[in-house]
Amino acid sequence: MTPPALDRELSSDASDILGLDGIEFIEYATPRPQALGQVLETMGFRPIARHRSREVTLYRQGEMNIVVNASQPAPVDGDGAPDEAPRIAAIALRVRDAAAAYRRVLDLGAWAVPTQVEVMELNIPAIHGVGGSRIYFVDRYREFSIYDVDFTAIPTVDPHPPALADMHWFGIVQYIGNDRMQDWTAFYSMLFGFAVLPDDQRFGVMPKGRVLVGPGSARSRFYVQLIEPEPGILDAKGKEWIARLGLGTPDPRACVALLRERGVAFAETPHVHADERGAVTRTQLGSVVFELVRSEKES
Amino acid sequence: MTQQTGRIDDFGMDTISLAGPLPAKLRAIRAAGFSQVMLSARDLVGHAEGVEAAIAAVRESGLRVTGFQVLRDFEGLSGRMHEYKVDIAKSMLELCAAVGAKVLLVCSSTSVHASGDRDLIARDLRKLAMLAIPHGIRVAYEALSWGRSIEEFPSAWDVVMRADMPNLGLGLDSFHMFATKTSLDELQWLDPERIFLVQLADFMWQEIRSVEERIATARHFRVFPGEGGHSEQVAELVSRLHAQGYRGDYSFEVFNDDYQQIPLPDVARRARKAADWLGEGILRRSVPLPGRMRLQPTP
Repeated sequence: MTPPALDRELSSDASDILGLDGIEFIEYATPRPQALGQVLETMGFRPIARHRSREVTLYRQGEMNIVVNASQPAPVDGDGAPDEAPRIAAIALRVRDAAAAYRRVLDLGAWAVPTQVEVMELNIPAIHGVGGSRIYFVDRYREFSIYDVDFTAIPTVDPHPPALADMHWFGIVQYIGNDRMQDWTAFYSMLFGFAVLPDDQRFGVMPKGRVLVGPGSARSRFYVQLIEPEPGILDAKGKEWIARLGLGTPDPRACVALLRERGVAFAETPHVHADERGAVTRTQLGSVVFELVRSEKES
Repeated sequence: MTQQTGRIDDFGMDTISLAGPLPAKLRAIRAAGFSQVMLSARDLVGHAEGVEAAIAAVRESGLRVTGFQVLRDFEGLSGRMHEYKVDIAKSMLELCAAVGAKVLLVCSSTSVHASGDRDLIARDLRKLAMLAIPHGIRVAYEALSWGRSIEEFPSAWDVVMRADMPNLGLGLDSFHMFATKTSLDELQWLDPERIFLVQLADFMWQEIRSVEERIATARHFRVFPGEGGHSEQVAELVSRLHAQGYRGDYSFEVFNDDYQQIPLPDVARRARKAADWLGEGILRRSVPLPGRMRLQPTP
């Protein structure tokens, strides 16, 4: 671990000490993988590969990868969703050096997740995130695809389907317990170098809570939005989970029109409706929600 | 803490004051009218039918868990000893979460192998607090009066400030405060929001002359508040904390060999008497200008 004195000297780039370079993939766990696959396909994701040893499918559009793991997710009682609803089980982060990143966060107090790998499979280091989810560290994404090792391509399918309406990862939205804002801010800022966005800076149509901005380049940077229970509601169970994914798109109205044609339904309430800032899909399968946010992707 | 209700709910018993198996302790505490209990890891691990049965017994008791104790000799170690203690801390945090406790009590180290460097101590406590974040647990750091380098609450507060984690705060124990004769005026420098637990006990004699006597008194001869020679000090402590804005829990941390030999309901009745004295007599009378009317020295 870096001595405190050195931390202070390095503070100019200390926020990006892991060399964070965006999201490599998001993993869902669900006992009904085909139903979730259909939802993902309406959103523009295409199944492109299957895991060699497990019932896991890789979906992709543009630079976004989603892994669907056919397993019973840990239930989050208190979120109102049925137990068999899909859950966001893991986020894989691109970092400069996965082993170094892993060592560093463990040194700071992250929990290691024991991995179970079969022969010839990649051993991807992981730590515990919110509510039983995991955070992976991946450093081989430029010259080499991790999916080439653990997955076999689905024949005749384009392995690089383009993104609809230039959609790209924008961020994740995490629901947290009462009085937990400071705790989770400390978690993301100390372990990964996130910073708190000023309150007057918000994106999209769902501005509640606190937004943390990740370190790294504008090309790959992503956001974490933390949302507490409504004021006055004591959430006694204090359950916490990743509630939805944020997808950036330069023109949300056009994106909404395109997705509606494909059968995606959007929330239309007095408080939330699709506009030029963004939109929110209606909940599918009891838990699956995507938020669209206006965002230009720098290349 | 409200003015209308009886203040019994602000006080809890500690299982270490009672002999016998956990379910009997919980029954006695409940029967005496308490609504919360401070649990010891031994209560769970030593349960005749195992940890799961112990957790079930706590949940069925209807008692709220004030906190969970105690992690010892954690901070200031290096190398293998540090790794070992981190493993112990993780096991305790998992037990703490399983039983629904929101506070883990950590006592300042007595180890001759531990460094007294406050920045190193703060670094280790920061790591412990980070480990506690995913579980939603707050860490209360308490100055043991025979701690190797941290033996009074102002020193403990100093390292809590250095560590600067939202879920790391102080645990206060009246016994240790009185044993070291630390001035209660020092309380004014504390942020009441960062006091996570207050443990109260009295003892019979006025003076404790040696460290050995201090340890023996702490472990065998404590009595409930109002039963010993320091009632006024306990009352003053509670009044001052209230005046300063502390609204958290009070737990009776009474280690006493005699109480281990008398029926549980008798011990619980003594605890109830102490709670009534402090709640009805001291705290209630202290509203709306707590403490200042009679207990603080006049200039």
